[in-house]
Amino acid sequence: MSQLAVAAQDSAATAAPAASARPAVVALSGITKSFGPTLANAGIDLSVDAGDVIGLVGGNGAGKSTLMRILCGAMWPTLGSISFAGEEMAFANSDTGEAQRRGIRMVHQELSLCANLSVAENFFLETPSDSASRPGWRALYRARARAALDAVFPGNGIDADAEVGHLTIAERQMVEIARAAATPGVKLIVLDEPTSSLDLDRSKQLRAFIRERAKAGLAFIFISHKLHEIIDIASEVVVLRNGRTAWQGHAADASIGKLVQLMGGNADPVHQHAVTAASSQDVLVRLCGPLTAELGHDIDIVRGEIVGLAGLEGSGQKELLHAIFKPERKQHAGVSRGAEAGFIAGDRQKEGVFPLWSVLGNISIGALARRPALAVVSDRANRDTASHAASRLRLDEKRFQSSITELSGGNQQKALVARALVADTPVILLDDPTRGVDIATKQDFYRLCNEVARGGRALIWHTTEDAELLACDRVLVFSGGRIVKELAGEAITEQAIVGASFAQSADRQASAAKDRTAMARFGRRLVNSAPFIGLAAVLAIMIAINPAVASTFGLDLLLMPALSLVLVTAAQMFIVGGSEIDLGVGAFAGLVSVLSATLLYDQPWLGALALVAALAAYAGLGGVIQARKIPAIVVTLGASFIWVGIGYALQPTPGGASPEWLSTLFGWSIGFMPTSIILIAAVALIVLVIDRLPLGVVLRGFGNNPAAMIRSGWSPTRYALVRYLIAGLFAGAAGLSLTAINTASDINSGNSYTLLSVAAVVMGGCSLLGGIISPIGAVAGAVTLSLIGALLGTLSVSSDYNAATQGLILIALLTLRSLTADRRSEP
Amino acid sequence: MSAFAGFGIWAQRNRWIWSAIGVLILWLVLSVVTNRFSLSSLSGVILSASFLTVVGIGQMFVVTTGRGNIDLSVASVITLSAFVALLTIKGQDANLAIGVLAAILLGLAVGTLNSLLVVGLGIPAIIATLATGYVLATATLLSNKAIPGFIVSPALKELATGRISGVPIMAIIAILGVAATGFVLRYTIFGQLLSAVGQNRAAARLAGIRNGRVIASAFIISSVLASLDGLLLGAYIGGAFLEMGQPYLLQSIAAVVLGGTLIFGGSATALGTLFASILLVLIVTTMQIIGLPPGAQDIVQGVVVILVLALAGRQALARRAFVEIADGDHDATADAEASAATAQPK
Repeated sequence: MSQLAVAAQDSAATAAPAASARPAVVALSGITKSFGPTLANAGIDLSVDAGDVIGLVGGNGAGKSTLMRILCGAMWPTLGSISFAGEEMAFANSDTGEAQRRGIRMVHQELSLCANLSVAENFFLETPSDSASRPGWRALYRARARAALDAVFPGNGIDADAEVGHLTIAERQMVEIARAAATPGVKLIVLDEPTSSLDLDRSKQLRAFIRERAKAGLAFIFISHKLHEIIDIASEVVVLRNGRTAWQGHAADASIGKLVQLMGGNADPVHQHAVTAASSQDVLVRLCGPLTAELGHDIDIVRGEIVGLAGLEGSGQKELLHAIFKPERKQHAGVSRGAEAGFIAGDRQKEGVFPLWSVLGNISIGALARRPALAVVSDRANRDTASHAASRLRLDEKRFQSSITELSGGNQQKALVARALVADTPVILLDDPTRGVDIATKQDFYRLCNEVARGGRALIWHTTEDAELLACDRVLVFSGGRIVKELAGEAITEQAIVGASFAQSADRQASAAKDRTAMARFGRRLVNSAPFIGLAAVLAIMIAINPAVASTFGLDLLLMPALSLVLVTAAQMFIVGGSEIDLGVGAFAGLVSVLSATLLYDQPWLGALALVAALAAYAGLGGVIQARKIPAIVVTLGASFIWVGIGYALQPTPGGASPEWLSTLFGWSIGFMPTSIILIAAVALIVLVIDRLPLGVVLRGFGNNPAAMIRSGWSPTRYALVRYLIAGLFAGAAGLSLTAINTASDINSGNSYTLLSVAAVVMGGCSLLGGIISPIGAVAGAVTLSLIGALLGTLSVSSDYNAATQGLILIALLTLRSLTADRRSEP
Repeated sequence: MSAFAGFGIWAQRNRWIWSAIGVLILWLVLSVVTNRFSLSSLSGVILSASFLTVVGIGQMFVVTTGRGNIDLSVASVITLSAFVALLTIKGQDANLAIGVLAAILLGLAVGTLNSLLVVGLGIPAIIATLATGYVLATATLLSNKAIPGFIVSPALKELATGRISGVPIMAIIAILGVAATGFVLRYTIFGQLLSAVGQNRAAARLAGIRNGRVIASAFIISSVLASLDGLLLGAYIGGAFLEMGQPYLLQSIAAVVLGGTLIFGGSATALGTLFASILLVLIVTTMQIIGLPPGAQDIVQGVVVILVLALAGRQALARRAFVEIADGDHDATADAEASAATAQPK
């Protein structure tokens, strides 16, 4: 440790005397991590004392993320050891949970909040233990969130009740930072690019907060590309390069120039770039407009050149590649392309390979995609074209029949390049194609790119590895979504690229579009209130035509049949909240109705037992769906046959009788208020309460961002069971209501409710993507749908139009919702 | 042992074999038990299975587009088409061409509507086809009132129920359809594009495939096949009745899944759908022969679907795990490789 670290410790000692005597909060020693033949980390030592603020810097791919993953227990190193507070720990026991228990929190660059929940609820998910389930728990977390946010970012103006999805990216980042800082017992906070979307003031506030908490003994690791911030805040700076510690020292000894040089100066060029051979003036791609405003001139990309896209990750390089691939989209004005383009993705699993196919299949699709759909595929022709491409890549033809997933990353990438070659497009777009590729393949790759370009095509190459840019004829440096510098020929050096991307990385990305969507928001509000408007309109029309409807008796007559649908809808809503759909829920209600009118009537004990067993089976279904990861739609459709089958076996024809207590349960009356309205309101209230309980929050969290929920330590299988159990209880209640209202049972009585409940849930404003639930809206939707028949009757339209009206309402609402969709809150 | 291993690998690529084996075993058992189950009774089973196969093939196209896509409107299309056939053909062979044309047009219209909702508006397939189904239900009710009578054109009746030297014509149609589908899936560009879209939509888009068109075609094929199936089914049962298409909803999905088509999309087998259809009909026949009550038949069908999915889920799990691991290591490998490029001496 440097002197400054000691000094920091001393100052910490005054605040917390015990701290100085203690060993490092966490110490990594000799950390080496290899991925195949490559070393991501090589013998790194890092010790963090209480009160340290360590600035961690390094170019793209220097090994920072790997080191931090190891520190947080998300990854095990190949070699090396870790100790917490002087106590060495085996990596076999380390996982993210263990690291969290020892007081280490990481604020990830990609945010891990549940966008459908409020700020306060997100605080709850991270530290649920002390909430218990008292009423008013929300107020507790609201206060905690407020305090935490104000402590870090005074005057932030973030509403603790606001839905995270409606916050700006900067506000979300602030919430996440505050959430980590407020965790009880936290000792070390790792901040990965915390200021990437914060403006200057917020960034200053954050640094002031860090300084203050560090004095009190909290340790920080601060990763940033904004070097002036590092120098400002860090007590000690660690520079990583190529997986090794390039420099470690006092922040006062560092300067921006020195750090830039340490990170990326004088690297061995991967590939000496060949003669500048922009041989033709045939412009294939033209960039203009705001994109190039900073340069002051348009950019033409011609045949025969390799153009590199550089800059810090996420500065707009990928967006440009996709814009060139699909220039016809509206938001891509300023990009025009004069010839066909092919795409080579570096994210092979997500955007590259077709996992069910052989290598040959994966290659030849490139050519097939551009032929007429009804043409015939010939294996021989495919093989011939593919082998031509493969031979240029040194990809062994013998592997053509193996499954693509059996190949190494490098060979998979070769297959993807071969795919682009057989497609034979004049423009080839490369999205970081060499990530995860071994060095030999890379060399083949660079050589091939050169050949392809000289053969008269244009290559546009985005890479996160600055050294690769030396192979390009021209390099466009990005910052904040714009091209800020154009380098050509000899001017392309790693230093120039690093310099340009860092120099421009000032704080300007922050204020993105906030309120260009006022119209869309109005539209959304209109769509969300549609079930209420619809319900009011339906009732108004019916009362206008037949005033008797407005009486207590009239309303009861009209609304009592809606009760069962409301209950089924409530059940369906919980399932939809988990982004699934239950196609057996109506049949289940029918089964419960049969059970209650037969077994429960004849032999109450046996009947009760059967009901419990049915409920258990229903909940178990949820467990099976979650555990086996099989589509809920088909499983529940299958289950619906089981429910109906059991019902038939018990009661082949409608009949049975309603137990007396059950009829009483639904048959009471208090005179002035229709019973049905009270019951429906009660159902809505119960659903609302469940939804507002911590349990409801957790269920919605799972619907929105299961990965984040698991990261915070919640069990997905347990909550799948709970979700289906709740749904089963509501569906069961619906079955009982059917028996009580009809005073008999029919196994088919619930069938029509299944699809209607889906429609009602969707009408009510629940998102089929999961996580968004609106109990009142869904109940209103259910009542509206069940009134359609009566409405048509009042208007003397044949009841044949009932289903069509329901279907058209559903289509109209979905269309409206799709047109006014809140793109931002989509995952 | 090695023969078994070899068969295992072969069966992995030809998943239809499992349903074929199922058919064989069940048929043998039935023949032994009843002592009179013969080839001719099997042809009866195959005749019923043919109707399921046709709609199953359509459903298979939709399922193969991936993302849990399912066509819930097939049941309503079958019913409506049977009514439309009665309305247009009016029992006259002379009107047959108009009837077939009407069925095809109906299928095209519904398929286009479905794909407009799914592809154009981005509405999840299950909801979109559900909504379409509602609208069709009303159309069915209206045509139910309008039909002049339950007379089926003799030629159509012959097509749906007749036999050529003991083999049902309908079975020949279904087998030819399966063969054609197999050819399309395996040997045409469209088959390849469909599989690509079902496996990995992002990769398909970047490979230059127009995903929207492929997905739309699948929905249109499904509706047209369901519509033609309804026409023939109506002729088979000699009329039409409300809800006549309903059993085909679950059964068509079951036939697809049971046959070995992946429920997550990307891989389809027409032959598997054929055998699975026969298997499903055989199961029902068996239960009738044993004398199980109708309820038990439903239960068995439901259990079969869930079991097959839960067992086949393992395959899908393996595939997902592969993707997830790759995702998880993603940044790390990027780091690793990036450093390797400059770290390693040449």
